[in-house]
Amino acid sequence: MKSLAPLCNLLLTIAVSVWTVLIWDPASLAAMLAVQIALLAYAGQLRKLLKGLFGLLMVAAFFSVIQLPFDVAVPIAVASGLKMMVMTVAVLLMLGTTRLPSLTAALVSQVKIPYEYAFMFTSALRFMPDFIAESHAVREAQICRGYVQSRNPLKRIVAYAALVEPMVLRAITRSETMAMSLELRGFGGVRRTFTQQIAFAGRDYLVLALIVVITAAVIRYR
Amino acid sequence: MLEIQQVSFAYPGHAPALKNVSLSIQAGEFIGLAGRNGSGKTTLTRLMVGLGKPASGQVMLDGKPAKDGGPAVMARSVGYVFQNPDRQIFRDTVASEVAYGPEQMDWSDDERQAAVDDALAMTGLIEVAQAYPRGLARSFRQRIAIASALALKPRLLILDEPTSGQDAEEKKQLMQLLGKLNGQGIGVILVTHDMEMLLEHTRRTVVLHQGEKVYDGPTQELFADPAHDVAAWGLRVPDVAAIAAKFAKITGAVRSVEELAASINNQLGGKTDEKSGASV
Repeated sequence: MKSLAPLCNLLLTIAVSVWTVLIWDPASLAAMLAVQIALLAYAGQLRKLLKGLFGLLMVAAFFSVIQLPFDVAVPIAVASGLKMMVMTVAVLLMLGTTRLPSLTAALVSQVKIPYEYAFMFTSALRFMPDFIAESHAVREAQICRGYVQSRNPLKRIVAYAALVEPMVLRAITRSETMAMSLELRGFGGVRRTFTQQIAFAGRDYLVLALIVVITAAVIRYR
Repeated sequence: MLEIQQVSFAYPGHAPALKNVSLSIQAGEFIGLAGRNGSGKTTLTRLMVGLGKPASGQVMLDGKPAKDGGPAVMARSVGYVFQNPDRQIFRDTVASEVAYGPEQMDWSDDERQAAVDDALAMTGLIEVAQAYPRGLARSFRQRIAIASALALKPRLLILDEPTSGQDAEEKKQLMQLLGKLNGQGIGVILVTHDMEMLLEHTRRTVVLHQGEKVYDGPTQELFADPAHDVAAWGLRVPDVAAIAAKFAKITGAVRSVEELAASINNQLGGKTDEKSGASV
């Protein structure tokens, strides 16, 4: 996927999400998930995402189990959880194999989305790992001042203020600094160009053709 | 007080950050921790406060394994001041910010208030106790972080590059504060890239290179002995030490420009004003 054009990667992610919405067979969804995990491993992303995937699996399992008391059939409940996982892993796969500046360039040049919106979208994606790292650092700083997670849920929520407030304040400061630095580098100019290579190659057209075929097959045989 | 015994550590998917490092820290020491970026300095200090578990070896506090307590408990003995104070400041006054740590402890109201008052007094923050912390200068915010650690009454304070982002005068004041705290019996471990600061203020220096301890001894000796390849370790001989080395017979061992000037002046038969350090 790393060698695909960014727009092709984005279309593939959207296509996977569409297939996931249409398919209700747990075995097919599980097969899709297995292929995605194999692709993550091939792209060298699996190891660093393993912990997150396990957390996602727990959430999906909870999501499936919570439906059972409401007379939802087991295959449907399992499929719901799998759908959630497949869609999330599709996005992770795209983020792990596409450079965000290239994605911005593709959204602006090929999809014709205004640059400000495309930039906002990709910046939000870029901030996610930063935000996670920041939350980790803030948590450590407060632990060194005696912060302990209480078992009492109410106390726990109150105690979260020590983590959330510095993070929010830091995020505001960072966004202000970033906005200033962007303006100083000409953000919002009338016309702009991109250096990223985003043009479609033969393999991209092949993937697009496969997307069309698979989507037709999913609609026909679901 | 704190013993690092044969500690090794590696971040997942990376080369070992620490290899068999051993260190013994006595109460009241003022130690410098130096080495190039990525040498393992921060990793070592994180393990000292329980923010990570060694892959092998152990950290002992007062003869007991530190892992038994965890960082929140360790904070009562070993305070940690992060490089960026903004990662912890979140309350609307300096006093309430400093009070956060004591509030986590099972202390009485009087004990808590006394701890906050002492910490504010020790760090010279009483005058700004009711100010909004984030509105203060970086040097004040760094002091707030130090006061926050001191409020838990630690016996050892670890500071990770505390002078970054500060001007010369602010650095000087911060080092005076650390000297004062050390004079009151609080041990200090200073992680720094500032060689002048290392020479002037620390008595002992530990140097890490590629995760290994390559030097542990008197700071003056680190720079005075040509056998130590400090450049290879990512360090630089401070100018004052380089000058003193060239005129060793005249100056002897000196730690600062003031000491160097006083030594030269003394050799020339002059006197030095004890207050100002100027030749008279």
